[in-house]
Amino acid sequence: MKYRSQKIAWLFFATSLVLLVLQVLYGFIMGFAHMGYDVFHEWIPFNTARAVHTNLLVVWLLSGFMGSAYWVIPEEAGRELVSPKLALVQWASFVLVGVVAVIGFHFNWWEGRKFLEIPRPLDYLVVVNVLLFIGLVGATAWQGRRFTTTGITLLLGLVSAALLYLPGMYHFDNQVHDSYFRWWVVHLWVEGVWELIMGALLSYLLIKLTGVDREIIEKWLYVIVGITFLSGILGTGHHYYYIGAPEYWLMIGGIFSALEPLAFLGMAIFAMAMMRKGGRRHPNRCALHWTIGCAVLSFVGAGFLGMAHTLPQVNLWTHGTLVTAMHGHLAFWGAYAMIVFAMIMYTMPEMTGRNCYTGWIPEWAFLTSNIGMLAMTGAFAVAGITQVYLERKVGMDFLDVQDAVQVHFLGLVLAAALFALGIALFVWNFISFGLPADDLKDEPDQTERQPLKEAVT
Amino acid sequence: MLSKSAARLFFLGGTAVFSLVFLALTIDTLRQIPKRSNAEDMTDAVKRGHDLWTFNNCMGCHTLLGEGAYYAPELTKVVERRGKPWIRIFLKDPEAMFPGRRKMINYGFNDGEIEDLLAFFEWVGRIDTNGFPPEPDLAEKIQATQVVTRQTTSDHKALPQPEMFRTICMSCHALGGKGGVVGPALDTVAAKYSRAQLDLWLKNPQEVKPGTSMPKLPMDDTVRRELVDFLLSYQGGNE
Repeated sequence: MKYRSQKIAWLFFATSLVLLVLQVLYGFIMGFAHMGYDVFHEWIPFNTARAVHTNLLVVWLLSGFMGSAYWVIPEEAGRELVSPKLALVQWASFVLVGVVAVIGFHFNWWEGRKFLEIPRPLDYLVVVNVLLFIGLVGATAWQGRRFTTTGITLLLGLVSAALLYLPGMYHFDNQVHDSYFRWWVVHLWVEGVWELIMGALLSYLLIKLTGVDREIIEKWLYVIVGITFLSGILGTGHHYYYIGAPEYWLMIGGIFSALEPLAFLGMAIFAMAMMRKGGRRHPNRCALHWTIGCAVLSFVGAGFLGMAHTLPQVNLWTHGTLVTAMHGHLAFWGAYAMIVFAMIMYTMPEMTGRNCYTGWIPEWAFLTSNIGMLAMTGAFAVAGITQVYLERKVGMDFLDVQDAVQVHFLGLVLAAALFALGIALFVWNFISFGLPADDLKDEPDQTERQPLKEAVT
Repeated sequence: MLSKSAARLFFLGGTAVFSLVFLALTIDTLRQIPKRSNAEDMTDAVKRGHDLWTFNNCMGCHTLLGEGAYYAPELTKVVERRGKPWIRIFLKDPEAMFPGRRKMINYGFNDGEIEDLLAFFEWVGRIDTNGFPPEPDLAEKIQATQVVTRQTTSDHKALPQPEMFRTICMSCHALGGKGGVVGPALDTVAAKYSRAQLDLWLKNPQEVKPGTSMPKLPMDDTVRRELVDFLLSYQGGNE
């Protein structure tokens, strides 16, 4: 840790993990409901569990991004955070809004729009909160000693994410308009500006962990986020095929969303290439595993599995089935959850001065959570494809098909148990790091200045 | 080799160009949506139905236009598929239609709210969705492989199916190999029960067989007689 104010990140990371654990629990409620054991129906019906599950995901990822930004921006700017006290206020209010929203979902207080369920009054608080956050990191970067591509890309991603929240706050009477602009938020977040955040964090981690020259890494960062926007902006069209938007979206959405995997493929190749090129053996291998794992699985989950059902000829049949859940789980895990985990794993030893990145716990956390998630993706895939054939192609009744795929949800729940074990190990590992210490590293960053000196050993 | 400034130019230039194209397409899409969605037919009832839809987070289980969760049926063409009478009964008491199976919350909608929801679904069903949801394209091929003798030997004697039978009964019971699987198939009912028994059964299932999951469906005497007549006329293909 170079600046004392960086340790505010710990609060955000801890929040992330608490919310993630809750998210997993609500996931189990849904898994069991799909198996026919809807035991919480009276208190937590499926739509509540679902809203909690997805919104907790968004909130914990944002919390992870914010924590990462509070860590990265001071370092990239070369100064302390402008006001650590306000950052604390921002954290507290963020948690408060999140908790109120999640509790509200249990009492029918929501907006009923997929992923944007947070009710309008809370939306305004979100805006105030995010403005405060952007103001803090923005001012820190502005008054810093240097502007780096990594820092600027991260800021650009955060500011755009904030701006793109706004189209989701407008009320439309027409379901088609409602859906059209809802995707401005959801798609342009996860397949647009969040990738800027992810790319920036990936490049920060690669600079630190591989010791490859910053100039080279940042050049490729530009290329990759360039491809992201080149494909991702018009790729929004893959959500417009069948919602009442004009027919040309079939063509435009099909072509550009088919290009979207390129950005993720780019990230995967880039991360692997930098790891080889660097040759530096950073002692924190676990952080490197999460970093490379993120780049690779984001390609598999977001890129490849997205591509699998993005073409309109395929999507006509798979749209609105469990196939979407298959893609969604591995995409969010690979691209966004894993980048947050990589940041946590990299920053914790720096923050606390404890080296809890070796041993079986962090290793098995990595392995079981990833194997569990891949197995879950497989279970969703089998259930989804079966659903497509029986319901959409053959015309069987919805509930009969659901009975037919119930057994795959047993597979899902078992895989999810493995995944949850991995998460539990990761959380345990996080706890064993302890609280942030106050020691500062005064020497200049060795990883960046002298990459080759240590590479020999 | 690519320089960093060229890479930056690629990023900024590409983003600007494609954002502008996206905005232009959005303007054109907004121009076309009113026509494609029959916006002029969006009555107050449709809007109220839409508000009920979002207020209760129906998307948290169902999909509409293919968007939502995958726990409950896709509802874009629900009025066409089930018919209004079925949906009215279902929304009054969701468990009546699929007893013992996956549960929907009973929201206790009043008649006005149910009509608003119906208006909303009817309006959604008429949106030009570029062909979603598609017709099951394998259904015909599968039926073509099955033996067709049952249909031809039985149907000529039977009365035409009453409206109530097609829209309500068939969602749980099957006849001639078509229909639901919740309750038993009805092909051989005529051979097993008398007119009086069937009449009593439809009037109050609980009285005949306490604890049965067959719901007591609201219907007047004429409809009940129609149903019984139809069931007795159907010989189920067994001579």
